[in-house]
Amino acid sequence: MQVWTKLFAKSPFKPLIKHAEVVLETVEVLEKALEAWEVGDYETMRNYARKVDDLEDFADRIKEEIRDSLSSKLFMPVNRGDILRYLHMQDKIADAAENTAKWLLVRDPNDMPEDIKEEIKSLIMKMSQESIKAAKLVYEAIVQMDTVIESGFGEKEIEKEYELIREIESVEHKIDELDTEFMEIIFKNSSKLEWGLGMYLLNIAKTLSNISDKAKDAAERIRLMMNK
Amino acid sequence: MIEMLSDPWLFITIAVGLFMAWAIGANDAANSMSTAVGAGAITPKQAVIIAGILEFTGAYLFGKSVTETVRKGIIDASQISDPHVIIYGSIAALLAASLWLVFATKFGLPVSTTHSIIGGIVGYGIVYAGTSIVNWSKMAQVVASWILSPIFGAIVAFTVIKLVSKTILQKDKPIESARRWAPVWIGLAFIVIGSMFYIKVMHGKSLFIAITRYGATAGLITFVISFVLLKRNFRTKDPYLGVEAIFKKVQVLTSAYVALSHGANDVANAIGPVAAVYAVATMGLAGMKVPVPKWILAMGGLGIAIGVATYGYRVMETVGKKITELTNTRGFSIDFSAATVVLVASWMGLPISTTHTVVGAVIGVGLARGVKAINKDIVKDIIISWFVTVPVAAIIAGIIFKILMVLG
Repeated sequence: MQVWTKLFAKSPFKPLIKHAEVVLETVEVLEKALEAWEVGDYETMRNYARKVDDLEDFADRIKEEIRDSLSSKLFMPVNRGDILRYLHMQDKIADAAENTAKWLLVRDPNDMPEDIKEEIKSLIMKMSQESIKAAKLVYEAIVQMDTVIESGFGEKEIEKEYELIREIESVEHKIDELDTEFMEIIFKNSSKLEWGLGMYLLNIAKTLSNISDKAKDAAERIRLMMNK
Repeated sequence: MIEMLSDPWLFITIAVGLFMAWAIGANDAANSMSTAVGAGAITPKQAVIIAGILEFTGAYLFGKSVTETVRKGIIDASQISDPHVIIYGSIAALLAASLWLVFATKFGLPVSTTHSIIGGIVGYGIVYAGTSIVNWSKMAQVVASWILSPIFGAIVAFTVIKLVSKTILQKDKPIESARRWAPVWIGLAFIVIGSMFYIKVMHGKSLFIAITRYGATAGLITFVISFVLLKRNFRTKDPYLGVEAIFKKVQVLTSAYVALSHGANDVANAIGPVAAVYAVATMGLAGMKVPVPKWILAMGGLGIAIGVATYGYRVMETVGKKITELTNTRGFSIDFSAATVVLVASWMGLPISTTHTVVGAVIGVGLARGVKAINKDIVKDIIISWFVTVPVAAIIAGIIFKILMVLG
């Protein structure tokens, strides 16, 4: 009797985890691009930045597939709308990474004033590391969500999930602070900076902090998934 | 065997009975092993061999040696005086039920084989003597089982999966709790299975004897074995995987039981009408209950086994490849719950269908947020198929019966 094959539909969680994996990879490749940017290897930077773009495309395709398969005929342990909104936010993380990559490709910043060059670079790198952390935590959070369901919504597993969500929120807070610090530096030195360069740097910082913003939004959605 | 060849109608009935047995094997047998195959406990090939052997054993050794010619007294046999009616009617009922089963199997609908044959019998009964021949209170029980079976299945499965996860998965130390609780759950399941073995397979009557003798023994043995095994080796790296590994092994046993019990019980659906015609052909009378010769049982068992091997194989293979969302604890919870409901219901005299209970149990596990996704559309199709089984089988049987009466 084939009822078993039909009655149990494909779980959306495996593809969601796959999507999170690709999103994480997108952010990781972006960090490599920024590392190349830091040392001034613009050729390598460009290659990585283009790879970020490809990965974002790939994430988009997985997203579409999940959306198509998540029809309303499924009966699931979590709200379908919550899953879709979560997916949307998770995908936005990759979009944010792609935006950073786009700004990287706009120009070569070989004209940074020497006295603030190091400070700017180190701040950007810090932000990049934090955004990777955020993306990694989102990945862990969706894997943990799978475990939460596996355990039949066990309190212990739910507590672990809340822990991850709190961590994501603290990372986002940290990046916000770095972003503010960065803006202050740029505006303090605005007389030394050509307007295009200032805009370029501000946007890199802005898009980087966006990654963690979206990670936080995704975490919020996971929180909602648990309170059906 | 000799008289079989001398009477063409008996010969035809046996052929149709074999077809019905084949259809039962094809539709139902994969059901018994599919949770084990789906959860990766055994391969489809192993499942076919195990199910084939156990279905045959159940049918041949434990099939009822006396069978009701009209299943469950659904029509009043005393109103049928003409032996030809029994012959044509039995053929019509068998053929209608088999055709409906083949159709349902093709579309993957889990319909009850008992209800199919009941539909067939009601169909020819009404065509012959009008609606007064039908035992409507029995019919009401059948209808009630469409509603009761899934509801009970769902309630029990919901409770079982919640308790399993409360006692094992949600504890601070899942490994420790699994060591302690898994044997308890396995033992409990085997108390039910042991008792069921006495009532369903050996056709015992007393629930007390069933539980004290068979249930308690099976429960205790499995408790001790699993307790010792878990003390000695347990995959401790991932507690969830460890727990799944235990239930994986248990699932092979529970499915083996389902196959045996299925053979013992459902063979009557194929051979009951055959036995009725046999009684008419050899003794010239149409009674309510007739003794069934062993060779008819063997043929029923063989038919089911062939159904498993020819069609069930395909089903199990797809099941093995497609069900990834059915973990061993969930499969165990479903099997355990369905068995418990069927046991309690047969003790209380409630008409319960195993097939319907299993589907209810799946939904119960889903409601307990234990399954990641259930296809609502399929649930709807399945429920519709339950409601149409009896009328459709009845209409087909009525038509076939009419034709046979005109031709004969």
